[in-house]
Amino acid sequence: MQGITKNDLIIRIGGEGGEGVISVGDFITQACAHAGLDVYTFKTFPAEIKGGYAMYQVRASTERLYNQGDTFDVLCAFNGEAYNMNRASLKPGTAVVYDSPGDFDPEIPPGVFAYPIPMSHTAKEMNNPRAKNMVAMGAMSILFNIPVESLREVIATKFARRGEAVVQGNLAAFERGRELASALKKIDPWTLGTPKGKQDVIVMSGNNAIGLGALIAGLDFFSAYPITPATEVAIYVAKHLPKRGGTLIQAEDEIASISQVLGASYAGKKAMTSTSGPGLALMSEMLGMAFMAELPCVVVDVQRGGPSTGLPTKHEQSDLFLAIHGGHGDAGRIVLSVESIHDCINLTVVAFNLAEKYQCPVLLLSDGSLAFSTQNVPYPNPDDYHVVERKRWDGEGEYRRYALTEDGISPMVDPGTPGGIHIATGLEHNEIGLPNYTSANHEAMQDKRFRKLKGVINDVDPVEVDAAEGAGTADLGLIAWGSTIGVVREALQRLRAEGYKVKGFYPKLLNPLPVEQFEAFGASCKRLLLPEVNFQGQLAHFVRAETSLRPESYTICGGMPFTPEMIVNKVREILA
Amino acid sequence: MNAHLQPQTHLHRVELKSKDYKNETTSFWCAGCGHYGVLTGLLRALSEIGVDPNYLVSVSGIGCSSRLPYFVNSYKMHTLHGRAGPVATGVHLARPDLAVVITGGDGDGFSIGGGHMPHMARKNINMTYILMDNHVYGLTKGQCSPTSRTEMKTSTTPYGGVEIPLDPILYMLTYGATYVGQAFAGNVKLASQLIKDGMEHKGFAFINLLSQCPSFNEIDTAHAFKDACEQVPDGHDTSDLNAAMCAVNAAKQVGRIPTGLIYKTERPTLDQRMAELVKHVGGHKDYDLRKIIDLARP
Repeated sequence: MQGITKNDLIIRIGGEGGEGVISVGDFITQACAHAGLDVYTFKTFPAEIKGGYAMYQVRASTERLYNQGDTFDVLCAFNGEAYNMNRASLKPGTAVVYDSPGDFDPEIPPGVFAYPIPMSHTAKEMNNPRAKNMVAMGAMSILFNIPVESLREVIATKFARRGEAVVQGNLAAFERGRELASALKKIDPWTLGTPKGKQDVIVMSGNNAIGLGALIAGLDFFSAYPITPATEVAIYVAKHLPKRGGTLIQAEDEIASISQVLGASYAGKKAMTSTSGPGLALMSEMLGMAFMAELPCVVVDVQRGGPSTGLPTKHEQSDLFLAIHGGHGDAGRIVLSVESIHDCINLTVVAFNLAEKYQCPVLLLSDGSLAFSTQNVPYPNPDDYHVVERKRWDGEGEYRRYALTEDGISPMVDPGTPGGIHIATGLEHNEIGLPNYTSANHEAMQDKRFRKLKGVINDVDPVEVDAAEGAGTADLGLIAWGSTIGVVREALQRLRAEGYKVKGFYPKLLNPLPVEQFEAFGASCKRLLLPEVNFQGQLAHFVRAETSLRPESYTICGGMPFTPEMIVNKVREILA
Repeated sequence: MNAHLQPQTHLHRVELKSKDYKNETTSFWCAGCGHYGVLTGLLRALSEIGVDPNYLVSVSGIGCSSRLPYFVNSYKMHTLHGRAGPVATGVHLARPDLAVVITGGDGDGFSIGGGHMPHMARKNINMTYILMDNHVYGLTKGQCSPTSRTEMKTSTTPYGGVEIPLDPILYMLTYGATYVGQAFAGNVKLASQLIKDGMEHKGFAFINLLSQCPSFNEIDTAHAFKDACEQVPDGHDTSDLNAAMCAVNAAKQVGRIPTGLIYKTERPTLDQRMAELVKHVGGHKDYDLRKIIDLARP
């Protein structure tokens, strides 16, 4: 058996929820990462609790991965529904591994390579019907060169707590799957390349990575209300925050979550909540108070398809308007957005640092695609992170909570401190916190609160420019935010290989908008394109409003992220 | 004795007079407002307990009554309409060593903030909630509130009310508050006694203080409240939930308002449960993060 080595392989596994689809996907992901390959996964599961179609896609590569890829090279269908759901995506060259005899007898399209494997039959024969997925995984490991030693190790580890008999049963089914596939003639060209060597990595989903980032930043208090697709942030924190002696509460609604967070912040603790668009909308009023009363807090918004209840399990980047301007009155806030799982860890730490330093709400935008995607990231050493604590009163002189300082930052004080008694209030107030509605005072205080935010840009890497060494003026510059950045990175690599003069611009700080950086990038490109997953072109709107740039919008809102191919095609069309 | 049954010891205590708890900010309520009685009762209770003002956090929402924290010598938060409860919950859970008192009105607590009330009670958050109940919206100049009597005409019910009022006491008994008391705000002695007991009680203490609004409520005057209030009978078993509910219903049926301590029980507070949980997982501030990160190694 032999095939062309393909350093970058995308395997999609589909079946009935509960058949072990997600486990196989997880095992392959873990094994590939364990062996030193890059992984990027993507999964969908039915909105219904039981049954329905479940899908897990693993992209593995010897090269650095930034996104989930264009489409799959290999389909593993556990049943007829999974085959039919993906039938339209099969193209000449795709390999299909399917259960046969099973509940379906597929008509294989021309050019598609088919491998019938008796998954259900074999598992039943072995008196272990639940190990159907292990038979399939064994077969795939032979057919596509998935690192076998790592797979065996992962099976042993993952089933260990269910006893030696379960481990042996699953390993036997896995080996049987390998034998079955060995007897088949390899007819497709896909073979995963050999990893360069083991790396010190962890594999996490975006939601878990945000939870980890918060722990690294020194999270003390967490309150949230369950909401798709953000709930896993709370689940991760619920499991691990008590180990660090922190406090977690599931609130009665999102308004209570953000209220509790502000209470904890006033009490001197690092506090956070996580939600999705509908929850963020409910928090808007309290975020205004956080700005007014100058209370540090971190709010994570894992965006989903809207408007209203919308497409709760689908991907969209459509909360930027809400994140930046959602709320009454004239309030400010800091908005960051993450590109990758790595960012989910690192920028969550940055979000806490900024909240503590600037005493205001910091919103961190993630999205439905990153929420459940897993990637390998370098092992994060907690000691390598710079962690900021709020400026506290030194006890000298008379304490004025809202003292008008040069940089607008006034020292805070924790309750329990003699001489530090003060009020945190949503009313306009003077330097000691007492209500004061005079025009002079309101103007001075608004100026103070916004003056603070001017420093933000110096504390973060606000943007990243993606340009080939020595690149001059580009024919087209692409501006992207959130998980779309990873798609654009790969599209630019392909376009440059074709000879296109293209550049990328990836803002991570979205409010205050890094205007100078935008202008400089705009000056180095003849035209600009801004792809984003929302109908109105929300970032394009802000760029047009705040800079002199006039990027062309490329928007989709079908519930799925862009693929590199879509971007490549669009750029070819524009530059034709 | 279980830890949660031990007498309250967490309050930081000092020796101060009642006036030492009043700060220099001038109260802004109308002449004859019942809220002055609440403030006096609170200051007296704080002095009797000897709460250290540095370890006291007074939290309110929006409304006439919600201005009260401005007049108290303590750390304080003046938050949003209806949100005093959850903000105070955050303060308390983050720092269980602080004494937390919430003050607010009937509209703030039971209308816009109504979604939070059941959860503070059932979770037994160790705080004291003083509800200043004047049966009307005062700061917006006289609209009906969830506790307005049906017969009351207000600016939004010019032909008389069309709803029945909510009973704060029955509400709190139903949702599991562990300390429930009621008094006429003008009865400063009883009000301060209930506040003191409530603050010393380990758990969620709810105290409903009937407070007349001389500007916008013509029927629930100080006289009317005073006449209607009736101390729960001697021998009332405050540890019996059924007896508490029956006592309230019996009084209501004859147009009376039952006052005094109505119900009191002991149950672990949420912060105690959380501390136990931290202990259970062997948690502490210096727990090595690497042990958590290692779980994500492939």
